[in-house]
Amino acid sequence: MKFIKNYLPLAMVMVVGLLMLASYYIPHKHSVDYVELMNKWENIVFAFAFLLGLLSLFVSHYGKIRRRHDGWGYSIFVFVGFFIMVIPALMSGGKQMIDGQVTGLGWSFRYVYNALSATMFAVLAFYIVSTAYRSFRIKSGQALVLFIAAFILILGKVPLGQMAWESVLGWTGYGIDRVIEWIMSVPAVAGKRGIMIGIAIGAIVTALKIIFGIERQYMGKD
Amino acid sequence: MAKTKTLAVLIAFFLAAGAASAAPAGKTASVPAIAGFTADDMPYDAGNALLLRWPDGQYGADTVYRVFLSTAAAGGWVHADEFKAADREAKAIPLPFWAWEPLPGELAVKLEIGALVGELKSGSDVKVKAAAYRNDKLIAESLAVTAQIRGNWFRLDRLNNLILLTVIVIAFFWAVSHAKRKGLFIRRIAGLDAIDEAIGRSTEMGKPIFYVPGIGQMSTISTIASTFILGEVAKKVAAYDSQIKVPHYDPVVMTVAKEVVKQSYLEAGRPDSYREDLNFFVSHDQFSYAASVDGMISREKPAAIFFMGYFMAESLLLAEVGSTTGAIQIAGTDVEHQLPFFFTACDYTLIGEELYAAGAYLSKEPMLVSALKVQDLGKLVVMVSVAVGGVLVAVGAKMNWDNLVQVVLTLFKAY
Repeated sequence: MKFIKNYLPLAMVMVVGLLMLASYYIPHKHSVDYVELMNKWENIVFAFAFLLGLLSLFVSHYGKIRRRHDGWGYSIFVFVGFFIMVIPALMSGGKQMIDGQVTGLGWSFRYVYNALSATMFAVLAFYIVSTAYRSFRIKSGQALVLFIAAFILILGKVPLGQMAWESVLGWTGYGIDRVIEWIMSVPAVAGKRGIMIGIAIGAIVTALKIIFGIERQYMGKD
Repeated sequence: MAKTKTLAVLIAFFLAAGAASAAPAGKTASVPAIAGFTADDMPYDAGNALLLRWPDGQYGADTVYRVFLSTAAAGGWVHADEFKAADREAKAIPLPFWAWEPLPGELAVKLEIGALVGELKSGSDVKVKAAAYRNDKLIAESLAVTAQIRGNWFRLDRLNNLILLTVIVIAFFWAVSHAKRKGLFIRRIAGLDAIDEAIGRSTEMGKPIFYVPGIGQMSTISTIASTFILGEVAKKVAAYDSQIKVPHYDPVVMTVAKEVVKQSYLEAGRPDSYREDLNFFVSHDQFSYAASVDGMISREKPAAIFFMGYFMAESLLLAEVGSTTGAIQIAGTDVEHQLPFFFTACDYTLIGEELYAAGAYLSKEPMLVSALKVQDLGKLVVMVSVAVGGVLVAVGAKMNWDNLVQVVLTLFKAY
């Protein structure tokens, strides 16, 4: 029992992980086929897991409706939305267009789903403004640096700012375009690369911890 | 007899006509041969390309080359590639100096066979030839050469990568085998220290904690790290008898997270408090997920929110809504272009590698903590390499030592 619960999953993780790692250095067709096979398996596992997810969604929202939980009315929309998309999809065989005519599924996608997604994405613009406002409240030295860099960037993107820069600091010979270019290509890139190097090394070590069974919290403890 | 002769002449005529139509366009009478034309299997590939080489400068800079190939399956000649001589210099083949030695004044062409005539078996014969044209007029043609395509077993061009990996693996095993029970210093990570405070606040207020694992799949490293942190957070939540809610974007992550949370409740000695609906699936669509979680946050006004994992545009949508509810927000992601949004909207943010280190930091397991040393060693190696490499490239550029500059740049390049 202990073998099945502890050692077998660890051995599987190790073998599959090492083979995937080796496939990066082995270009042979067998290696390519192995990676493709693993991708297919991942898709199959995902398909079954998706059914579990759907079940979890329905059970969770059905429970809310049954118990009249706060905001239970929203849960009704989960079912309504689901059937509004699924029934036309079944009727049109999953096609959005048939003989040049938009099907019910196509209509729902174009005029409901896409519109709602675009709306959510557009909301981001408002949040960026409120976040920018919060960032500009200078509370520390780092916040001051952030403010100065952001202020210069904003200034350089509007004609009025460019004119103001030219009239006040034009004598220095440094146009605002050059300053922005320097900020974006030197300190910003340096910071970004520092983070990326740390991430890359951290990812390698995390992968090694999982492959060699050092990190096995996902399995629980005995 | 006369009838047989006529038939033979007719057959000979059709054969000749067929051969003429199969030949490259523009071919007229006999033309000079392109000297030194060779074809070999392309090294370090899966076995679907050939490498053609021949000396340049035989016919002038305005020469246009056309390459033709023929296989048993394709039958006649297939027009495979067309280019000016200057566009296919041997040094342009993207291979490092330890795996490829381009000769000066040589042309080299990588010919992808699969894209032209479909996939061939390893060991298949492919016939190739090149023809030189000036003003669309054939001026020279190589002899047809036969080469075999073969799958290779090692990417020699990735040797630099393999050496670095080997060093990290050796360091990793050394660090793990020398794991100390006590005394290893780990820099304080404020975001992780605040977890207790966040859970304590939630317990006092009687409000739930939201743990948002982002939109990564289970194969994403940040999502894996997130499940480790979830385990530690859930353990504390169970110990404090507080409430946690984990909305999921990916059903596979949900399945793993369920096991992790269940295990945490068991370890905290509170299996009775565990419920299956602590982890629940929301949507596999980015903005639907963000809208749903935003709605829950707005309605339930949680005391603390954790954003740990892989995030894209929804990061600010989630964090800003969380911020308006007054919850303590702790975020962590390795998506560097989403970090600024978390910095501004959250109380604490784990930057990239801190997210990976969080599991070790929270669990205090000696082996996991020791593995953090390897990350530090890796960073040290990179820092030294960047410093030394930078100096060498600068000196090489100043002194016009092009070879040195190329060697240094190639050493740190990914192939």
